[in-house]
Amino acid sequence: MMKTLFRILAALVLLAALAVAGIILIPVQRTPPSEALAAGWTPAPGAGEYAMRAGDCLACHTADGGADFAGGRAIESPMGRIWTANITPDPETGIGNWSLDQFRAALIDGLRADGAHLYPAMPYENFRMLTERDIRALYGYFMEEVAPVRNPVPEPELPFPFNQRWGIRVLNWLTLNHDSGFTGTMGDPALDRGQYLAEGPGHCAACHSPRTVYMGQDGITADDPAFLTGGHIESWEAPPLRGPQSVLREWPVSELAALLATGRNFRTTANGEMRLVVEHSLQYLSQDDIIALSRFLKALDGQPHDPPEAVAPMGPAALMPPEADAAGAATEALLSAVSPDMPLGARLYVDNCAACHFSTGRGSPEIFPALQGNSLVVSDEITPLISIILDGAEVPGTAARPMPLVMQGYAGRLDDAEIAELASFLRRAWGNDAAPVSADEVARIRREDRPQTR
Amino acid sequence: MSAPPPHQALRPARRRFLQVSAASLAFAGLWPGSPEGQTLPPLTEHPREFFTEGEWAFVLAAVARLIPTGGDGPGAIEARVPVFIDRELAGDFGTAANWYMEGPHDAGAPPELGWQSPLSPARLWRQGIAAFDDWCRAEHGSAFADLVPAIQDQALTALEDAEVPLPPELRDFFEVMLANTKEGYLSDPIHGGNHGMRAWVHIGFPGARAQYRDWIGRHNVPYPLGPVSISGERA
Repeated sequence: MMKTLFRILAALVLLAALAVAGIILIPVQRTPPSEALAAGWTPAPGAGEYAMRAGDCLACHTADGGADFAGGRAIESPMGRIWTANITPDPETGIGNWSLDQFRAALIDGLRADGAHLYPAMPYENFRMLTERDIRALYGYFMEEVAPVRNPVPEPELPFPFNQRWGIRVLNWLTLNHDSGFTGTMGDPALDRGQYLAEGPGHCAACHSPRTVYMGQDGITADDPAFLTGGHIESWEAPPLRGPQSVLREWPVSELAALLATGRNFRTTANGEMRLVVEHSLQYLSQDDIIALSRFLKALDGQPHDPPEAVAPMGPAALMPPEADAAGAATEALLSAVSPDMPLGARLYVDNCAACHFSTGRGSPEIFPALQGNSLVVSDEITPLISIILDGAEVPGTAARPMPLVMQGYAGRLDDAEIAELASFLRRAWGNDAAPVSADEVARIRREDRPQTR
Repeated sequence: MSAPPPHQALRPARRRFLQVSAASLAFAGLWPGSPEGQTLPPLTEHPREFFTEGEWAFVLAAVARLIPTGGDGPGAIEARVPVFIDRELAGDFGTAANWYMEGPHDAGAPPELGWQSPLSPARLWRQGIAAFDDWCRAEHGSAFADLVPAIQDQALTALEDAEVPLPPELRDFFEVMLANTKEGYLSDPIHGGNHGMRAWVHIGFPGARAQYRDWIGRHNVPYPLGPVSISGERA
């Protein structure tokens, strides 16, 4: 009896070992091109750089103060720290020796030239939807238009088993089983273009879709029900872009387009990671592409999506801030009465915030974001809100709106208990309904490494 | 005294000085906390940046006569005005660090021609105190700080009325002393004076709030809220 059991166990162990050996040793497969291009096909001048902007390669593959695309930027993954790769054409430390097939496989299969698996911080799940034309244009751009920079990048700092790259192979079997290339499903060329930008190069789902238990994106294409229903990036909440919880429902296409192209619109500003997406990627897209992307996001949610005539047109020099609405009237009355007996959180708002965000909590168009109904203010992730109160915020200037928007930090002016009172006030004011923040939580965020907010 | 007030010419430079000191304070981690959390030493034991011990006694005595204790609002001593003056003179204002000081200096020049002493404000104070104390000893028998308040008032009045013989470069000593005292009384507490914002409470100034938009249309209604300082103190 014991002997039989032992034999079964031994067989199981052998099977497991064989499976692991198979996972490690069976050669990886590279997905072939999704489209056969004519022999003499070449990308239009500038197409490669444009695709790079649409894919936002620069933001991740450039370290602070480092050379463009030379890598070395730290990415804080849930499992540990990863450094982005040098994607300049330097033959030793970059991708100078990579063939087109190897380059394509990095984008759509998550494979290095040597066949090792890339960590999924590289959004190959999304880049898998890139057209062969864009892949070829990108290859030409990186090989011929980017200057080679010698910059060795450290190996990831990951604990076992996450430091075993072969393990990603198993993850990819679970997450990377969608077709490569792009097929529009919106039934309209402009909307299909928007769909392509969102699903493929824009890799919106990498942050704005939830994650599965295997840490893959839950919702990669427009026909996935969870696509863009909200996710997380580091300590930031990436708000839902569709559904009843989405603030986009209250924005016309023109205002969504303004936020994407300039980082600001009639209600809010782009903060956190989105600020960088606007700065490095979206502001470089054409008006047509920004409108297509905005229309697609509205159409995806079943909302009206008539195209505006232009993105962020020059309007009147001064826009009047909105009056308080019914939900905000009681808070506005409290704040504008300025009674010496007002609660401490409200008093701190009057003393520190109201000059810009106003007693209405609705700010001012294109300059001061509204705090009423602001997804960052009421998020369960309180780190961004507290970090912005401590350190301030900055929205970069863009070609269409050159003025950067800067908020000062209050780390020196408010102590932990005061920030807790203020944040708790904001999360209940003007109809906001979110849990209070404690001084201990503020103290922890003040102590720890915080996300960069400006 | 018909001396021209030199201060119109000084304002921009002083503002810069104040900004610089606020920034350096913040940088040095000396940003003051709330007034109730502070236990400050009495002024006589305050660690000074500029004044000597004898000069400090003069400053405490002089500002106490310019804005006396026991009036409707705080006196200059409760407002810790001497701390402000000490810091002010130790900084760029005191050394006239970024003023044109090459001359010519003409004590008879009209006020719009600005500072007419070859002395920096710090040296003006230092030499002014020495000269005025000498005069007090000769005229009243002891240094200013040791006189009784009534005699101190007489001496200050004489100084204001140019009845104290001073060399031309010290001509504006009284004007500068009075102006610096007012500044210490009314400026933001981050600069050392206006302690607890008591001077602002006294005059009804609500401080560094920058949020009165809701009150633009409310005429003849008293504004109910007390002041806030640059560092966030509330009163």
